[in-house]
Amino acid sequence: MSLIQAKNLTKVYGKGDTAVTALDHISLEVNAGEFVTVMGPSGCGKSTLLHLLGGLDRPTSGQVLIEGHNLTDLSDTKLTELRRRKIGFIFQFFNLIPVLNATENAALPLTLDGVKSADAKAKASDWLNKVGLGNRLRNRPDQLSGGQQQRVAVARALVAEPALILADEPTGNLDTRASDEIAALLRQISDDWGRAVLMVTHDPRIAAYADRIVFLKDGTIVDETRLETRNLDNAGLVADKIQAMA
Amino acid sequence: MNTHLTLALRYLWGRKLRTTLTTLAIVFGVLVIFGMNTLLPAFTRAFQANALALADQTDVTITNKTGEAFSPEVVQTVANVDGIRAVSAKLERPLNLPADYFDKDSATPDRVTAVSLIGGDPETLRTMSFYNVEEGRFITAADEGVAVITKSLAEVANVKLGEALELPTPTGVARLTIVGLLPGRLLPGNEEVLVPLAQAQKLLDAPGKINVIDANFDSTDDARRAQIEAALKTALGVHYTIGVIQAGAEILTNIKNAQAIMNLLGTMGLLMGGFIIFNTFRTIVVERKRDIGMLRAIGASQNTILSLILVEGLVQGVIGTALGLLLGYGFGWLAVSAFSSMVRQYININVAGPSVTVGLVGLSIALGVGVTLVAGLLPARAASRLTPLEALRPTVNESLFKPLTTLSFWVGLVSIGLAMLALISTNSGLIFFGAVLFVIGLILIGPALVQPIARLFGLLLALVFARAGTAELAEGNLTRQPTRAAVTAATTMIALAIVVMAASMLTSVSSTFTTMLKNSLSSDYLLMPPTIALWGMNVGAAPKLAEDLRAIEGVGVVSTLRFAATQINDVAVGVLGIEPVSYQATSGFTFLEGDQASAFAALSRGRNVIVNGLLKSSANLKVGDELTLLTPTGEVPYKIVAVASDYLNAKTTTAYISQDNIAADFGRTEDVMLRINRTPGANPAKVEAAIKEALKPYPQFKMVVGQAYIDENLRLFDSIFFGMFVLVIFLAVPSLIAMVNTLAIGVIERTREIGMLRAVGATRNQIRTIVVAEALILAAIGTALGLLSGLYLGYMAIVAFSALGFPMDYSFSSGGLILATAAGLLFGAFAAIIPARQAARLEIVQALRYE
Amino acid sequence: MSVRNALLGLLVQRPRHGYELHAAFEAVVGGEQNWDVKPAQIYTTLARLEESGLVEEEAVEQDAGPEKRIYAITPAGRLALTTWFQAGVEREHQRDEFFIKLMLSLVTGEAKPRKVIQTQRTRLYQNLHQITTQRHQANPKTELARILLLDKAIMHLEADLRWLDMIEARLDEVKRQPLPEPEEKPRGRPKKQMADS
Repeated sequence: MSLIQAKNLTKVYGKGDTAVTALDHISLEVNAGEFVTVMGPSGCGKSTLLHLLGGLDRPTSGQVLIEGHNLTDLSDTKLTELRRRKIGFIFQFFNLIPVLNATENAALPLTLDGVKSADAKAKASDWLNKVGLGNRLRNRPDQLSGGQQQRVAVARALVAEPALILADEPTGNLDTRASDEIAALLRQISDDWGRAVLMVTHDPRIAAYADRIVFLKDGTIVDETRLETRNLDNAGLVADKIQAMA
Repeated sequence: MNTHLTLALRYLWGRKLRTTLTTLAIVFGVLVIFGMNTLLPAFTRAFQANALALADQTDVTITNKTGEAFSPEVVQTVANVDGIRAVSAKLERPLNLPADYFDKDSATPDRVTAVSLIGGDPETLRTMSFYNVEEGRFITAADEGVAVITKSLAEVANVKLGEALELPTPTGVARLTIVGLLPGRLLPGNEEVLVPLAQAQKLLDAPGKINVIDANFDSTDDARRAQIEAALKTALGVHYTIGVIQAGAEILTNIKNAQAIMNLLGTMGLLMGGFIIFNTFRTIVVERKRDIGMLRAIGASQNTILSLILVEGLVQGVIGTALGLLLGYGFGWLAVSAFSSMVRQYININVAGPSVTVGLVGLSIALGVGVTLVAGLLPARAASRLTPLEALRPTVNESLFKPLTTLSFWVGLVSIGLAMLALISTNSGLIFFGAVLFVIGLILIGPALVQPIARLFGLLLALVFARAGTAELAEGNLTRQPTRAAVTAATTMIALAIVVMAASMLTSVSSTFTTMLKNSLSSDYLLMPPTIALWGMNVGAAPKLAEDLRAIEGVGVVSTLRFAATQINDVAVGVLGIEPVSYQATSGFTFLEGDQASAFAALSRGRNVIVNGLLKSSANLKVGDELTLLTPTGEVPYKIVAVASDYLNAKTTTAYISQDNIAADFGRTEDVMLRINRTPGANPAKVEAAIKEALKPYPQFKMVVGQAYIDENLRLFDSIFFGMFVLVIFLAVPSLIAMVNTLAIGVIERTREIGMLRAVGATRNQIRTIVVAEALILAAIGTALGLLSGLYLGYMAIVAFSALGFPMDYSFSSGGLILATAAGLLFGAFAAIIPARQAARLEIVQALRYE
Repeated sequence: MSVRNALLGLLVQRPRHGYELHAAFEAVVGGEQNWDVKPAQIYTTLARLEESGLVEEEAVEQDAGPEKRIYAITPAGRLALTTWFQAGVEREHQRDEFFIKLMLSLVTGEAKPRKVIQTQRTRLYQNLHQITTQRHQANPKTELARILLLDKAIMHLEADLRWLDMIEARLDEVKRQPLPEPEEKPRGRPKKQMADS
């Protein structure tokens, strides 16, 4: 069963002459354990798609189903609950609350859900350890590097054990090395921890970490690529490539 | 809830300066309201404690409505009523003692400032109340020159059993041998000196008269007692009151008026506080849009966001209120000490300290916390309504609050119109309401005024700042957001309006009172009783003193005042008997209606009366009215021939009649105050010495040199006015906070723009200049509106006062106007310091990246 | 080309066997999986170097095969090596198989240009995915040279992908321009000088 399904999603801004169609009847599916990237030129609607899938915005027409629940039927309260429990968000910047430390930030989805502070913080520390920030539990965002901040955001996205992770240009603000680390983490989330990950990016190198790339242009899907992960016989491919450059 | 508190505290701690400033606004509001309101009860309580006559063991106490002494025949009337078991007749009078009468030491505060002289039949006295004589014996009917007092009084007066207690009486100093001591007095109220009835009548110069009848019923059943009381009322008629003597009720009205003004100031302060908080929270919400968006995205509900912000406000509200209560108490304490000395002239009472009731504390807390919550509610709601997307990707033209429509402009205009109309009416209540309408109206039309004023002032600034670009930018910024500019300017406007209003009021009051003062107290010497205006409790002197004084060589005119209490149309009134001829020589009235010559002539001619301004408005009278004065012998008709005020009695309802009339109708021949003028060319030293000599048997009078008295009063005025000015300056502080906040929002919202300007070549100085220019324009708007409303409010206040019975001339110095304008503008420049620095310090790259 | 210069560089260290040269070469390029050179190619190159006088045989073993022969660098060889070090390495960009493919699709209409681009893009992404995975699995402590090479591959792939995006965006413009038609040229036209191989 697919974890997340978009059916004929359409989003139109404005009315009449000045109407802009950001998404035009998009249909998309992501399964558990899949890592999907959405790519496309600026203004193609990829961020809009992400917002709709995450319940941050409502479509003009079409449906979004998460684990079978139709988002368009849900009230704002229910949507908010969904975002707490079923979806983890990672943004490009300003992810963290500046006055809370790493553990407190990571624990937010749980504390907002009413989980007792001690339990929430324990879980948060656990995930922070898993993403390699075990020695930074008490640091505030201004004491962390960009990459480290994003890792806290990743831990936060995972702390409520959601089924789906949505990442909006998560490496947009980072240098090459930090970007690689984050991308590898996302890879790990789908490989080792079995969640579905949907990422929006314009960076090809980061996109290549995914299982599947969906290409968007002018609000429609123009192409889709499967990236083989289990093909062991890749040494030759690599060699050919390098030789050709000689 | 735990998270909310943690977040709130962290955020507050992160911006210490702003938190301090905002909390300060609340502290201020609560301080003023709480502090002000501890004053009135303190005075009232002390006042009432003295006026209270305890009748704990009697069922009813009967007095004449005027409080005057009456014929003993009434006792029989009471005794004849069915159900009355026992009756006791007394002649009772509280005697105000001069300062330091017993201890002769001005350093230590007086424990006893007045005693009640009680004369009665010893037998009946003891049937009504229990007197436990611990040492010596009780009084007997045949005794002369003896008294029974309590041990506590004996201690204060430093007399022992068998020794003599000296008391000032109208007939001179009385020496009473103490024959018995009662246990020390525990209850509040005056110490009692018990003497036989005849003795009291002699001492108080009221032969054959009584003024209090105590009676006991023969049943304990409530229904039956009500019956008896009703029967008693019928038997006595309308001229008698069943209850307690209410001496000095006329002062209470006056205190209540003062209280109203204090409350107005306090409310303004609290409103300002509310404005500040509102402004601060708007800033916070704008600054934290990103965080809010993120929280909503990861699953915070709308309510969570709402509570987050409200909790932050609540923390400040609670801390601010607590501090405000503490400081308010301190403030009340200071105010009581400051005002005590002035009040002592009028009321001879010890004011213990600020009076704190549970109710007041509760009210202050409710107000402090309540205003915070309400003020923060609108921004908090706006924040909670933000969708995650709106908050994560803010757009340039966002404004959280809908711009005011032209509807509000018209409403504002109508408000102002109504306010002006109210001015014409003579109803003081309406006029006050009109003031509020005026201010609201100005605020509403504010946004529409922003543009023209900004443009005008922008031109001016362009001249000042050579590079015209900056001024235009500043002006442009403001005209694009007229609402925000107007709200900020509004706080400046209110502050300035209050300053100007208070200033104009004070100068008007000051000039009026100074004139009145000079008019009233222009005699060479004044013989003053322990208190002024509460004549009824003073011990005066029999006419003999005045005769002795007139006999002194070098003394030209001696003018005396006599006092009686009465009621007109159920309003408590003090009646002063004057001798028109000598009165004119030593002092004057300020006539509001009628003229001096014919009025005084009328007084001498027949039963004519001059009423003062306060009495006129309280009882709704006018010249030509016929009214009845209630006297011990019944109602007597008088005709009003003029309305005039004199300084000493301006604050109490007073009526002036001739001394002949007061003797005839009220039976009063006791002089309570004397004024003396020297003959021209007399030797001052000799005259003074002679007067002092004549005064020796009358320690209740204090001789004051006229000029010195005027100077002392003027000094007192100055210190009070200074105090009020300081208070008013206080009000300016919250307004400063509001302006800083608004400018700060402006800087944040235009971070990108500033980055661009810098990238294109604007220097840090130029950026700073833009912010300062903006602040100046805002200040200009606020000042302009503030001056307008201040002048109007000041005028309104004067009109209101006149309607209340305190006629005043409106005056305001042009120098003061200029000063206020300069202050307002400087104010704006000062407020710009922090935001300007912030703006100048923005890193270009950071600013450009700011989405 | 670089094999020639690599051998020179190896020989400047000390004279070596042909067999030794093969092993050394593999080590320098970071392993056989990066650059698989057959021994035969090494020997052929050595022969050519000898012909050009850049290397010489040092000792000759009786009837030994090329792998047993010991080669040494000559002064001319040293000069050639120095020149090579001092000169920048030329990059040949204009020969691009994909470019030809795209142009042909435009000219002949045998395939849709957009599809061609898409297919290429897919291929590039797959490559990128594999290389990235490998790079992640490589141990920076022991395989740094390999990692550096992988990074270069990644960056080139990125560049190629960007170029693809650009072409795609301007495809319509390209379509409108006159296509390069082969010209009718008279025979006997001198051959164009070939670039160094």
